[in-house]
Amino acid sequence: MTDDMLRAPAEVKYAEELDWLESVDDGPKPFSWRLSPRMVRLFVLGSDRSDGLDREISQKWFGDRAFVERSIVTLASDRGLLLIGDPGTGKSWLAELLSAAICRNSTLVVQGTAGTTEDHIKYSWNVSMVIAKGQSRESMIPSPIMNAMEQGMIGRFEELTRSTSDVQDALISILSEKYVSIPELDDDNIVFAQPGFSIIATANSRDRGVNDLSSALKRRFNFVRIPVVTNKRSEAEIVRFRTTELLRRHRIELDVPPTLLDILLQSFADLRAAAASATSDDERLESALSTAEQIGVLEDAILHGHFFGDRTLRAETLAGSLVGSLARRSPEDLAILNKYWHGVIEPRAKDGGPWQDFLEGGRQAIATLS
Amino acid sequence: MSPFGALRGQLLDAAKTFADAPSDLAGILAGLVDDVDRALREELEIFPVCHHSPASALAMARRLREKQPKVIYLELCEDMRPLLDELRNCRLPVALQAFGSELDGFPAGWGPLSVVAPITEASAEYQAIAYALDTPDVEIVLVDRSSDHVFQWLPQEEPARPEEDAEDREEAALHGDAVGVEIGDLRPRFAELEAHLLHHGKVRHWSEWWDQYVEQPLSGADYDTYRQVMVLIGSLFRRLRPAGDERTASDEDRERYMWTRMREHLAASGADPAQCLYVCGAFHAASRVEQFGLASDAPPFDISPRTATRWQYGLIPSSQSAIEAQFGLASGSVSIAAATWNKALTRGGVQPFKLDRQKEGRRRKRALTPVAQAQVTDRLSGFLAKPPALDGLDEAELLGWCVDIVRLARRNGYLASTADAIAVFETSILLAGLRNRGRPTPYDFQDAAVTCIEKDTVPGRRDVRRLCEILLGGDRIGQVGYEALPPLARDVFDRLEPLGLDLSKRTLQRALLNLDAQPELVPCSRLLWMLHYLLPEGALKPIMGSRRLGERSVQESWDLWIGRHQREIIELGYEGVSVEQVLEQRLRRTVWDSQATAAVALRAVEDAILFLGGRRVADELGARAVELLAAERTVDDAPEVLRRIRRLLAHYRATEPALPAWCEAFVTVGYAQYCTLLPTAFVDEDTGGRQVAAMLGFLFSMESFALALGCDHTQLELAVRQSHPEAPAKVALLWAAQSQLGLLPMAELRSRCDELLANPLVVPSFPLYIGGFVQALEPVPAMTAFVVETMSKAFARLPDPVLLPWLPKLITTLRDQAPELVPVLIREAGRTFPAGLAAVDSWVPPWSAPALPKAPAVAAVAAGPVTGLLTAHPAACDAVAALLGCDAGWQVAAPAADSAAGHGETAALLARHPGTPDAVAELLGLAG
Repeated sequence: MTDDMLRAPAEVKYAEELDWLESVDDGPKPFSWRLSPRMVRLFVLGSDRSDGLDREISQKWFGDRAFVERSIVTLASDRGLLLIGDPGTGKSWLAELLSAAICRNSTLVVQGTAGTTEDHIKYSWNVSMVIAKGQSRESMIPSPIMNAMEQGMIGRFEELTRSTSDVQDALISILSEKYVSIPELDDDNIVFAQPGFSIIATANSRDRGVNDLSSALKRRFNFVRIPVVTNKRSEAEIVRFRTTELLRRHRIELDVPPTLLDILLQSFADLRAAAASATSDDERLESALSTAEQIGVLEDAILHGHFFGDRTLRAETLAGSLVGSLARRSPEDLAILNKYWHGVIEPRAKDGGPWQDFLEGGRQAIATLS
Repeated sequence: MSPFGALRGQLLDAAKTFADAPSDLAGILAGLVDDVDRALREELEIFPVCHHSPASALAMARRLREKQPKVIYLELCEDMRPLLDELRNCRLPVALQAFGSELDGFPAGWGPLSVVAPITEASAEYQAIAYALDTPDVEIVLVDRSSDHVFQWLPQEEPARPEEDAEDREEAALHGDAVGVEIGDLRPRFAELEAHLLHHGKVRHWSEWWDQYVEQPLSGADYDTYRQVMVLIGSLFRRLRPAGDERTASDEDRERYMWTRMREHLAASGADPAQCLYVCGAFHAASRVEQFGLASDAPPFDISPRTATRWQYGLIPSSQSAIEAQFGLASGSVSIAAATWNKALTRGGVQPFKLDRQKEGRRRKRALTPVAQAQVTDRLSGFLAKPPALDGLDEAELLGWCVDIVRLARRNGYLASTADAIAVFETSILLAGLRNRGRPTPYDFQDAAVTCIEKDTVPGRRDVRRLCEILLGGDRIGQVGYEALPPLARDVFDRLEPLGLDLSKRTLQRALLNLDAQPELVPCSRLLWMLHYLLPEGALKPIMGSRRLGERSVQESWDLWIGRHQREIIELGYEGVSVEQVLEQRLRRTVWDSQATAAVALRAVEDAILFLGGRRVADELGARAVELLAAERTVDDAPEVLRRIRRLLAHYRATEPALPAWCEAFVTVGYAQYCTLLPTAFVDEDTGGRQVAAMLGFLFSMESFALALGCDHTQLELAVRQSHPEAPAKVALLWAAQSQLGLLPMAELRSRCDELLANPLVVPSFPLYIGGFVQALEPVPAMTAFVVETMSKAFARLPDPVLLPWLPKLITTLRDQAPELVPVLIREAGRTFPAGLAAVDSWVPPWSAPALPKAPAVAAVAAGPVTGLLTAHPAACDAVAALLGCDAGWQVAAPAADSAAGHGETAALLARHPGTPDAVAELLGLAG
């Protein structure tokens, strides 16, 4: 089934693993959860030998164990879960994994945008059916959140802070009363949430101040802040894990050379350090330099090498992709990259090796863009 | 047959089953059991402990009541023994401190040396100390290496100081930069082992792991189980440490040291080993050194003699966060341990030992019947095989925490409500369940509170995590009682008593001293100024009032933070018995330091006069200042030397009948020294204009005094003639000096400046000349008018591209280098320029005004017999003149009555208004 989809949701992709976990799970399960909290944790963070399982469960989300535990217990409690953090820190991926593990459905998603309306959160009407048959439950189009309520599942709200405050506040009653009333109908006009319903919202901490959450809504969410991964080892694991997945999706068979992965991680670490010590926005790259961005750069380089190169990943291509992805503003970003290339990469390239190729590739890319 | 035989076999079987190939595993597993067996079979009962472990403290309290030992050997620096008795005067946590400032045998860069051993109430060592001190006929013997050995055993080439931790909480700095020693340091020495334990234990930090896997299972365990498990853990960490661990050798030496000391004590006192208890870290209980055990026939450890470093001992206040910071424990762990201890006491019915606050005479007798040591049986197998007994949920406790955290959060700006308390309660239980715990630990509770209460921003100063730490015991800060303070500190508190403030409080206090109305506060003020000088910044701060030479404050106001800086005052006590003595020593040390300069010594003299009064110390320091000045080869400090010696001379002239001998010596030495260095200073690029100006200032302003003391003016003239500076500022200074000495007439100086201004090649550097002239105001104040004139000319004539960039530079230079000269310049400018705008148009600068007719060069000579004789016989004078080569010939002086004509201005005035003199002459009856 996964072959028919460009990107299969987590519950489809890991269906076999989830089935197995469900079969061996004898722990207490809250509400209608498909897995017990411990198994959910195991599914997200992977298994150890000390867990005593017959098969290995791979780690799917890389980060502090406490974040996952706090998220799971929040979903088992009365409150919604709000994952907050910088872009590219894996909030949505964690939300998807949690929904997949808990209710085997991670697709009940509302995407928050400036154009999101209350209808997207509650329900809307099929106008032609309303004209034909009048307002009834049949002619009503429930939102993903309402579907989640009806089925006792986890509803997801991506980028909550991108939607306007009045739309956000539609969640208040859903999270406290746990029902949605449909005043247009005379009877059967209340949709009650089934046990197991909860909401995982994500918010970008860089959007703070755009559409701040009201205090009432804040109260109904438990906040779990996901920090940017700075540990090089974890980051390497994340990049490797996600890239493998992407390569599989593109049906490309290629091994990323560890030296190139190191170069990528090192460059991002250097650029992050430079951004941290910069005093103004002009001296800082516009990019958040997140792990997701690294994955993007690597993917871009691989695809470029695969379709336009000799089907291998080369340092020059990687440098070109890095410059191409990070140089968003001209001349500010280009100037920063140019400075970095001359000040940091050049001395490193003196010893030859892949840094030398990386230097050349980057220079060419900067020259092309300038 | 060892009682652990069965367990040993079982472990060996396991090793065979699980290890893929013959490996060290079997050796390690069997070794663990052997270590336990060995420690438990030892004739001298070994009590293994871990630091800040309530389980250890509980087991200790129980065991002491049971066994009633007569001698307790404790793993603590042996030279700290006298301090233990003072613990009864303190509020814990406090730290025992050994302090060495007079180093001998250690690299000088290490000093002062400081060792601290913090003691908390929830510790096994405190139980042992309290029991031993309050029970008659019980002796406590500290057996670990002395503080001196702590440093002796450090690698000599490395700095002894621990790395500065970027700790922002001020309580954490309570121990200063002392080296910490702790009883029962029990933590894996192997980073991978610790990481492995944390990972598989599903905990975040070591304290949490310890709490969950050792502390809780052992808190209710019987004594045998406790001992066996602790030795097992000690042995495990000992065996799984990296081979090259540098602490291994030092640890083993300590163990040899301790066993040697114990054997010596047993031999000397004849105590029965069965009535003794050896309290040491579990790590040392599993020791395998050859001296281990009373039955060992290994030769005693060769203990090196202590160095000649003089050690001082005292107690300093400590705090839980200071302990956490110093020993790398997780934030809040010591507070949580204290809370656990208190809870265990109320729940378990264990009666802890506590030092009586009373004096020794009122000791209570504790009469209990001792119980003999039971036969060793294997408790390990049961403990290891059985799943941990889960502690039941203490609902009341958790509810209390939840309600309190919400209350605390609200007080700190969070919008928390009862709903949050409910959520925290629920989340804590869920989290504990997820982490295999029946009862939520404080760490679970902390996580739950953060999840439910912390939102996107922290509204106040503290976040929820910190609030939880405060709630679960807070940071307890100890206090050293008055009786336990060193004499100096007691003296300070006694002498500040008239202020009427409770100085033991840790809050900031304001002291107001009206010295005129309450003269009895004058000694307090003096002491406060001395403390202000001696203590680090922050301990006390003068808000109003100052102490400078020639000044006296009528009223003073102080911000005192003495309670918070108790440690610093106690450490002052190590340096002397009174504040005055310490101050004197510090001043002496400053001037005898190898880096000391004359300016430093003069400052010390000033401080000695200000704080100590009297002449003795000041004279001694002054004599040193003379030596330092004579030995100086640079003039970097010349401005400060000049400022200070002027101030000191003014002070002595105002207060003493005669100047001290050192002042005279300083002036003569300084005159000769600066004359010698002047030509070099003028050409040396590294010496600034300010320094040269200060040298000239010294030479010119002290000249008359120096000449009176036997110096030679020619020396100065020669020095000036030998100076050939090239830098414009210094050239200007030289011109000023020459003008002062009469070597350069003012008219020529003026024309030189005009030439410079007229020369387009030199114009860009003209501002530098002005800088030099401004500096020259210090040595040659008579030049003020000339400087104003030159500056005015510069403003008028310099081209804009030179003038405009220079103006801001002039202001900054004046502010930085000559702030005291600016008012002089402004006053002079005020005199020169017209006061009103209207007058400006018609104003002609004095230097542009036409010169007045010159008065005759011949001075009036008073009439008299000599004059008469010479006038009558001019030939003799003419002959002498001809001999001397003067051919101007004899000039007839104006009559004495016209002597007024010698004063040009007066003469001009009289010439313009002849009416007045005529009227006066008429009145006097003189003919016109």
